[in-house]
Amino acid sequence: MAYLISEEANDLLQDVREFCENEVKEQCKEFDRSGEWPKEIYDKAIEMQLHSLEVPEEYGGPGLSRVDVAALIEEMAIADAGFATTISASGLGTKPVLIAGNEEQKKHVCDQIIEGGFGAFCLTEPGAGSDAGAGTTTAVKDGDEYILNGRKCFITNGGIASFYCITAMTDKSKGVKGISMFLVDAGTPGLSTGNEEDKMGIRTSNTCDVVLEDCRIPAANLIGQEGKGFGIAMKTLDQARAWMGCVAAGIAQRGINEAIAYGKERIQFGKPIIRNQALQFKIADMAIKTETARQMVAHALTKMDLGLPHSKEAAIAKCYASDIAMEVASEAIQMFGGYGYSREYPVEKLLRDAKIFQIFEGSNEIQRIVIANNTIGR
Amino acid sequence: MEILVCIKQVPDDSVEVHLTEEGKPDLANITPVVNAFDTYALEMAARLKEAGEGEITALCIGGEEARNSLKNCLAVGADHAYLVQEDRFDGSDSRGISHILMCAAKKIEEDTGKKFDLIFCGKEATDAALGQVGAELSEMLGTGVITNVIEVEFAEGQVCAKQETEEGYRLIETASPCVLTVTKPDYDPRYPTIKNKMAARKKPIGTIKAQDLSVLEPEKTGEGGAFVKTLKLYEPPKKEAGIKIQEETAQDSALKAVAMMADAKVF
Repeated sequence: MAYLISEEANDLLQDVREFCENEVKEQCKEFDRSGEWPKEIYDKAIEMQLHSLEVPEEYGGPGLSRVDVAALIEEMAIADAGFATTISASGLGTKPVLIAGNEEQKKHVCDQIIEGGFGAFCLTEPGAGSDAGAGTTTAVKDGDEYILNGRKCFITNGGIASFYCITAMTDKSKGVKGISMFLVDAGTPGLSTGNEEDKMGIRTSNTCDVVLEDCRIPAANLIGQEGKGFGIAMKTLDQARAWMGCVAAGIAQRGINEAIAYGKERIQFGKPIIRNQALQFKIADMAIKTETARQMVAHALTKMDLGLPHSKEAAIAKCYASDIAMEVASEAIQMFGGYGYSREYPVEKLLRDAKIFQIFEGSNEIQRIVIANNTIGR
Repeated sequence: MEILVCIKQVPDDSVEVHLTEEGKPDLANITPVVNAFDTYALEMAARLKEAGEGEITALCIGGEEARNSLKNCLAVGADHAYLVQEDRFDGSDSRGISHILMCAAKKIEEDTGKKFDLIFCGKEATDAALGQVGAELSEMLGTGVITNVIEVEFAEGQVCAKQETEEGYRLIETASPCVLTVTKPDYDPRYPTIKNKMAARKKPIGTIKAQDLSVLEPEKTGEGGAFVKTLKLYEPPKKEAGIKIQEETAQDSALKAVAMMADAKVF
């Protein structure tokens, strides 16, 4: 089972699978060790236009449905979750503009992506994680410019992005209603990137601090209106979360693939270990979880395509997919026994990769708050 | 510059093929792909086109399922594609295939009013690996041929190609039109971009039937017209574990090996 996709997307899926098999899967092992951002792999992906799947058709994107795109992103995640995260986080960085930006801003960011750039979304700060409204970055209007000051952290694509969507306080007295969203191009004086995280997993993606020191931007770079930044950020995350569920489901699928392949190959007590019903049930449980996660992702994305409310569904998809990705990755290691614990084999990486999906774009505790609020009502 | 690239759809060569009970290759679960050498040929043609100008036509003989391979060619550089689809051509040998390709090339030239300057083929197909078609096609078209090409330049009707040899390469020049059979160059074929693939799905693929081929000699085609008959197919024997000979001295080992070979009546 998999995503139900169009014939066209199925055709593309074959190409993406071939690309990931030949250019990503094995190559990323080395970069998982070194933590280096594998530019050559991303350059090839850009050439194939894998980085611009989410760009709307009217701005030069391919015009696929979200579920079609999900099937392709999952394939990338199966090969390497960090690779898929870089691409998906670029979509995250573009969403504030697509949600609330003007025509010029939309064209600006989409053009940059089409030409091979990446986007980054800058909300989190050292003192503002789950409590995203507690950010202290400021934006002060000065004539027809804003001056931004502050420090953002844990920014996916922070060091490699061509543009950033950044939240900053325009009116401290109003709390979250004083937060605004700004579009800042890479290379703007005053914007720099700091400490690059040496992460546990998704090591082929770049995560670092984004520092703003008297960073002057044209006032026209305000996205939407002053004070609407927090709402835009929440809408952005509502959409992006489903994509993180998609990548997490891909990690789980890789775990299943590896566990089955190894189970058929590994002989103990004179037979392949997969002949043991105990391990067959393990695979069945992994499949139940993964398929359920995948269909939840599809449901959330379909609701998005239909323009229906999707906060709850996207939160469930992200929360469930990341929880089960951890479980499935752990069980895949169990199938491998001692070899699974070794870095020589591909499954320990899955557990390291999966963990972050329970944390970023709203920890799973925050997801449960979103789900509860949307279920219980106020 | 008009370029024709002849492609063949073959079973994915990374999968091991076994025989069915009837002794035929069991291809039921093997994905059909464009022959690897043909993909090199198309890539070489596409680079040549991009360096200058012109159009690439991809041509394939096969069933309905071969349209997918042609579609893939349209996504990575081909501008036009034609499928010769005719049941009675099934079972043609290399000569028959070359004859059909020659007829189809002439038919396309008649229809478009443009002559092909270069005709690219893979040096061989990865399924039967006979390596005959390129050379035979050039004979039938009455053009020159350069085999095992790894690099090509084309200017003002002159073709200059590097032909790979055991030791290095030869530089061969000839006038167009000319057939080139391509081996692995030092680059890989490109992946189709998402948009090119989507656009390729919408491009038409021309169908050519036997009756469209004005110079066809039907007696040369199909199983009946084949000079080469396949009597029986064999799977390669399974590799068995070898015997280790490890005597005290190398001389003793050699003597033992010779004695064993004598026992086995190898000589």
